[in-house]
Amino acid sequence: MRRRFEEALALARDERSLDEVRVAFLGRSGAVTELRRTIGTLPPAERPQAGKTINEAVAAMEETLERVRTQIEARAFEADLAASIDVTYPPIPPQLGGIHPVRKIVEQTAAYFGRHGFAVVVGPEAEPDYYAFDALNIPSDHPAREGFDSFWLSDTLLLRPHTSPMQVRTMQQHRPPIAILAPGKCYRRDAVDARHLFQFHQIEGLLVAEGAHFGHLKGMLTGMCRELFGSQQNVRFRPSFFPFTEPSAEVDTTCPKCKGRAPECNMCGGSGWIELGGSGMVHPNVLREMDYDPEVYSGWAFGFGIERLGLTCYEVDDIRRFINSDPDFLEQLQ
Amino acid sequence: MRLPLSWLREYVDIPEDPKSVAERLAMLGFPVEEIAMRPSITGVVVGKIVALEKHPNADRLQVASVDVAGERLLTIATAATNVAAGQVIPVATIGARLPQLTIEPRKMRGVASEGMMVSADELALPAEWFEDGIMQLEPDRPLGANVVELYGLATAVLDVEITGNRVDAMCAIGLARELAASYGKPLRLPPFVNPGTLEAGPGRSPTVAIETPDCARFVAQRFEGIAGGAAAPAWMRIRLALCGQRPIDRLVDVSNYVMLETGQPLHFYDADRVANAHFIVRDARPGERVETLDGAERSLSSNAIVVADERHALCIAGVMGLSNSEVTASTTAILLEAANFNGTRVRRTSAELGLRSEASSRHEKALAPVLTEVGAARAAQLLVEFGAAAFRPHAFGRALEEPAPIALSAHEVNRLLGTSLASERIGRHLAALGCTIAWHGDDLAVTPPPWRRDLTIAADLIEDVARMEGYDAIEAVVPSVPSHEISSAQFELENKVAHALASLGYWEVVTHSLQGSQTFERGMQAGITPSHQSVEVRNPLSEDQRYLRYAIGPALMEYMAHQDRPVRVFEIGHVFMLDEGHVAESGTLTFGFAAEPLAEPSWRDSHFLRLRGDCEALLRTVTGRSGEVSRDERRGFHPGATAVLMIDGREAANFGRVDPRLSRAFGARLPLYLCNIYLDGLPDSRLPRYQPPSRYPSTYRDLALVVALDVTAADVERTLAAALGALCRSTHVFDEYRGPQVGEGRKSLAVRAVLQRYDATITDEETDAAMARAIALLRDELGATIRE
Repeated sequence: MRRRFEEALALARDERSLDEVRVAFLGRSGAVTELRRTIGTLPPAERPQAGKTINEAVAAMEETLERVRTQIEARAFEADLAASIDVTYPPIPPQLGGIHPVRKIVEQTAAYFGRHGFAVVVGPEAEPDYYAFDALNIPSDHPAREGFDSFWLSDTLLLRPHTSPMQVRTMQQHRPPIAILAPGKCYRRDAVDARHLFQFHQIEGLLVAEGAHFGHLKGMLTGMCRELFGSQQNVRFRPSFFPFTEPSAEVDTTCPKCKGRAPECNMCGGSGWIELGGSGMVHPNVLREMDYDPEVYSGWAFGFGIERLGLTCYEVDDIRRFINSDPDFLEQLQ
Repeated sequence: MRLPLSWLREYVDIPEDPKSVAERLAMLGFPVEEIAMRPSITGVVVGKIVALEKHPNADRLQVASVDVAGERLLTIATAATNVAAGQVIPVATIGARLPQLTIEPRKMRGVASEGMMVSADELALPAEWFEDGIMQLEPDRPLGANVVELYGLATAVLDVEITGNRVDAMCAIGLARELAASYGKPLRLPPFVNPGTLEAGPGRSPTVAIETPDCARFVAQRFEGIAGGAAAPAWMRIRLALCGQRPIDRLVDVSNYVMLETGQPLHFYDADRVANAHFIVRDARPGERVETLDGAERSLSSNAIVVADERHALCIAGVMGLSNSEVTASTTAILLEAANFNGTRVRRTSAELGLRSEASSRHEKALAPVLTEVGAARAAQLLVEFGAAAFRPHAFGRALEEPAPIALSAHEVNRLLGTSLASERIGRHLAALGCTIAWHGDDLAVTPPPWRRDLTIAADLIEDVARMEGYDAIEAVVPSVPSHEISSAQFELENKVAHALASLGYWEVVTHSLQGSQTFERGMQAGITPSHQSVEVRNPLSEDQRYLRYAIGPALMEYMAHQDRPVRVFEIGHVFMLDEGHVAESGTLTFGFAAEPLAEPSWRDSHFLRLRGDCEALLRTVTGRSGEVSRDERRGFHPGATAVLMIDGREAANFGRVDPRLSRAFGARLPLYLCNIYLDGLPDSRLPRYQPPSRYPSTYRDLALVVALDVTAADVERTLAAALGALCRSTHVFDEYRGPQVGEGRKSLAVRAVLQRYDATITDEETDAAMARAIALLRDELGATIRE
């Protein structure tokens, strides 16, 4: 039996076959158990010696077994260590999801303004014209109303053509200081092309407080552009005209693609600047409408198109991609 | 507005470099959209045709002797037919470089030609705007002079954008004035003195009766000895062409020129066609029919103002003249109108009639009444130059008002701009722009110049101070914002939801809130009638933008059908419906996926289970709560695979497989699954509470129960948990089986109960006893039997 055991053991190559050998010889119904059963058939005087011999054999077999097990383990460990895979083999893709680039830009902006004490407010898209126009110093016969070519739902209700109604809503509900961002969808009756959507997102900023001034507007928007486009970014303010701000300014930022250095740049047209949107000091008529004393409080506001920021941020060739939301577009901009 | 830089440089010394001027204009608030560079042209001089003969060898050619003030006459052969002896014309001499060719000596049918007489086209001017053939110059031009310099043909042309409040800058003088102030250079304006001194008798001298308050001023003036039809001199035609204005004849050209120069639009009437030379400015009669100069019949509304005589309207004020008083080649006397009308009425009229012109675009922005005299004077100067006899101008309407002074202090300027400008400096900036400054100690009383009607309050002046100082010069400062109580909760909730879904493997999309009727039609096709009345847009740009969405699902179905492969998407946005005539708007979230069908029995849908898992995970992340799911039926969902999730007795979400009829109507090949969550109605987020685990080990028992088909997994879990009472840690159904082994009308549910005590190790005896009680209760309440 010892010989048969050694032979079987020599064939064992892994833990499993080793275990089979153990069960066959040392298991509950193995060869050793069989052998023990025969002890009873021996004359009583021989039994203790037989038992002893068997026990010694079992001990020796167990020892051998343990030795072989150690050897096998060592071999397996070495084999494991010696294994090598092609690490460039394509990975198993995780189930990924992601937020829309518009939300990404809003969050980045909100993070910057949030650090400086601004809250973020959201509100309705269908607005009475009071909020969209009248309260913003655009009375009903003002030509600027036609500039905001709007979708009307009734004589007085329209889809907001800008996020500025949130200025009015917030100023009605609170007293200064007011420090908000207001992102959201807006609608204008624009023909859709590579630069225009009839449904787009704007982000509005408003600060009304004692002592708020134009230099602060410049400071915050410069910081925002650096947050979005990089620390080398410059910001330019040009005089402009909006009914709800005075003084008013258009805001440009250095073309992030050519940094103002490539005359043939297709992003900025060689001007070196990208237009971000409008801004300015809140018009005293708007403050007065809110019962804020313009002699005490001053404020500034800005409103930028988020998809336009996205065109610049991510070098997107066509603004329609933001609303088509193709999987490839979304995945690339994560 | 297009303006040649050379024109601006006539009024003010500004740099020659168009880029630096464009940059300066942009920083003054007048962005330059384009700088059009003129092609380089050399060697073209003024010449005079001294003699003209037929070409000896060619019928179609003529040979001219041309005087260019050189040592001798040049011999030039030409095929042009509009040449005649005595004409002064541009001559490209040997060596001249034109945009398309260089002039070399050559023989034309045996005659040596020493140059070329050139047309407008060859000077890079629009050929169709000028005479056929050789361009005709003024007879008094110095022979031999360089044509390019003489006519400003080398100049860059700036296309300047003027904001709606700055109609005063919609002209050469206006922009020159801004540049002069900015560069600190003097402005050289011609004296606008009206040369008209002749007196005409009653019935010939124009009179104006203004019957509407919306005409502030009307300057009328009579001219004789000038008719329509003849071309204006080359300098004027060239300058108009550079401005993008087509030359017509000298009267039209004068009115356009004066408008581009001074900003004041003009109109000319044939004096013989204005009864008694008496104008009446009145409101149009509703429905009044007129024929405009473009030959169109038009019907007016009461928005329009007309200039009429006693018989009929002669002109739609500020918009367009009428055929009945048009100046023609046989006109012997004309009447000039330089008037000021209410901008809003002009704007409405031009919009109603679909007639927009350079004139209406200025009138509608509220021109300064003071310009009427300036415009008339400038027109009179030009007409006299063209040989007309000018009569005395007559002004009607309200007297010119002196603008009211505006109080301004350096404190106010610095408060708004964040600067520390001294009052003297502020005063200097404003004076440079034409304001009159009166000092009251350190404070200013600023009277704006009459042409700046946009300056009415201190903030307007502060903008001009900032413009002169340069927006660049104002220091950028990050403010320290005082604390406030404005909440960002709604925004943060949306972001939290978006990130939770992104981490569950969904992609955020944005779709259109405006839709066409196809959503309803697809629903109807699937036998689904809309549950809500949609909000309709009154003025959609196209039919596919007529309705506001009442749900996000349809757009996601469309998106997924279009992708035609497994995708997982969500959208957060507003939906709209009519609620008793009012527009009700709410924030909502829909997420879902398209998935390949699985090889599963009809009573199992793992996609549905995954959707439910995502829905519960999301709600737990956002609200810290879990809800109760129960079976439901919803329009648009599969009747057997729809559920509702309630939290605290309120519906928080509904979800399920999209009704296959609807999927098909949307053209989706794959089964679609959607979940709707009402963001506006979500319960408040609850803080999680920690429950320490028992220090004693738990044990479990699995049961295989056979129940009727209508007994749900939730029923089994709930009943089992209730039966086990305080010993129950959890109950969890982990398998379902239907088939021959359990028999028709029944199913087998495998459920695991985990039992544990907080005060001691639970014993096998305790466990078995509790399970026995539970099995009895499951039998009594649910008719469950233990599966053998």
